[in-house]
Amino acid sequence: MNQNALDNIKQTVTSNPVVLYMKGTPQFPQCGFSGRAAQVLTACGVEKYVAVNVFSNQEVYDNLPFYADFPTFPQLYVGGELIGGSDIMLALYEQGELQKLIAKASTH
Amino acid sequence: MKVTPDNVSEFILRGLECEHIHVEGDGRHFDAVIVSQVFEGKSLLQQHKLVYQVLGDKMEKIHALSMKTLTPAQWAASA
Repeated sequence: MNQNALDNIKQTVTSNPVVLYMKGTPQFPQCGFSGRAAQVLTACGVEKYVAVNVFSNQEVYDNLPFYADFPTFPQLYVGGELIGGSDIMLALYEQGELQKLIAKASTH
Repeated sequence: MKVTPDNVSEFILRGLECEHIHVEGDGRHFDAVIVSQVFEGKSLLQQHKLVYQVLGDKMEKIHALSMKTLTPAQWAASA
């Protein structure tokens, strides 16, 4: 665990309303769960969000699991808070809750 | 050694009392439905974290785990 890396993650998630840490990119996901996560954001109507490819950032790959005590990728942050992985994103989307969380974070 | 769906169930049941658990998978990707009273009053994020905590370093052997976590009341309502 590297404190500097954790500080950088904190900076990223608190200065952007919606951040998705994923394997690959929204256009070329390298894992089914990451692809599904990006699709859920599209379905929520999120046009602009920060997508971080953990495969092209070793420091993030190594340290993100410790940041919010969540061991897997993808991870979605809204308004600086961890929402969860793709299962949670899909469940909250189906409940209509994810859209609300994103709308709230985007207006601040 | 390849991890089986039964192994995954067993890993979870070792640390979490479940009313119902069902795991499917091919050794690399697993789908789990987990019903536990312990989930009552917890957010989805807290529920998933709990399962990851119970699995601990076993997660390194389980390449990918998709999970649906339910309280017994939610499970009854969905049946």
